[in-house]
Amino acid sequence: MTSQSLQKVDHSALKTNQLIIISLNILAFILNLSVLAAFVALVMGIGSALKVPGFGFVYKNLLKPRGWMKPDVLDDNPEPHRFAQFLGFIFMTAGSVSLFLGATVLGWGLVWLVVALAALNAFGGFCVGCAVYYWLARFHLRGFTKQPPAGTFPGMKPKAGVRA
Amino acid sequence: MSSDTLLRFFLAIGIIALGAAAYWFFNQHLLIRAKNNIFTIFKTLPNKPVIVYFTTPDCVPCKTIQRPALDKIKTLLGENLQVIEIDASERPDLAKRWGVMSVPTTFLLDASGEARYVNNGVARVEKLMAQVQTL
Repeated sequence: MTSQSLQKVDHSALKTNQLIIISLNILAFILNLSVLAAFVALVMGIGSALKVPGFGFVYKNLLKPRGWMKPDVLDDNPEPHRFAQFLGFIFMTAGSVSLFLGATVLGWGLVWLVVALAALNAFGGFCVGCAVYYWLARFHLRGFTKQPPAGTFPGMKPKAGVRA
Repeated sequence: MSSDTLLRFFLAIGIIALGAAAYWFFNQHLLIRAKNNIFTIFKTLPNKPVIVYFTTPDCVPCKTIQRPALDKIKTLLGENLQVIEIDASERPDLAKRWGVMSVPTTFLLDASGEARYVNNGVARVEKLMAQVQTL
């Protein structure tokens, strides 16, 4: 807990991203479409490169303008969320490559791991990738400089009320 | 729909159900933990519903949302409800024992001291009221 400056982070965009990742991955598993899992990996990778939630465009261009999802803007650090998405991208890429190489158990296992972590974040408000980020920051690893917002357990969603 | 797709569908349902069950058990674990630690707060049971509210001085949503919500509930229910506020920064031992990971966190206990609900994060008046009415 420090006096670091936080930024406005719209958690609705993050949640939309997580819900789409969960839905598409489950659909990929049911239909046995490894190409769909690879597509999810690709979008997460593009999102990581652009420093935005991969499927955030669905929220920005469709859900938010139509009022289907309301903004949930909180004072937070965007960096841990980017790191979490990047971790997800790594797992999804490893899963997709495994599937294309025929290692289906490993491949789908990694895909389900991403589903589980995204679900924990979307429904439980706990971001494992963010917790890993804050854990690495404690060891003063280069590039990992942020501390959790005051009063927030590392990885937990900051609570409502600190709104933009 | 081929049998393979159907099998995968049911497998997916099973995995999701397992995940949901794990989340449910986690919340139950928190409630059991609260019940087992009730005498870390009370010497004797208050014989009325209690809201145990964990907060910290630098928690903004506690001041702007949670505190007013609890004040309103307290005004509405008067002596029929007890609200106990715990500063987690002053009593980290209690926060740890009760499994509190962030503030605000509210536990709702019935008159027998049974922890019935836990709200990780802000719980608004309507939600708290609905929970209190079932105690």
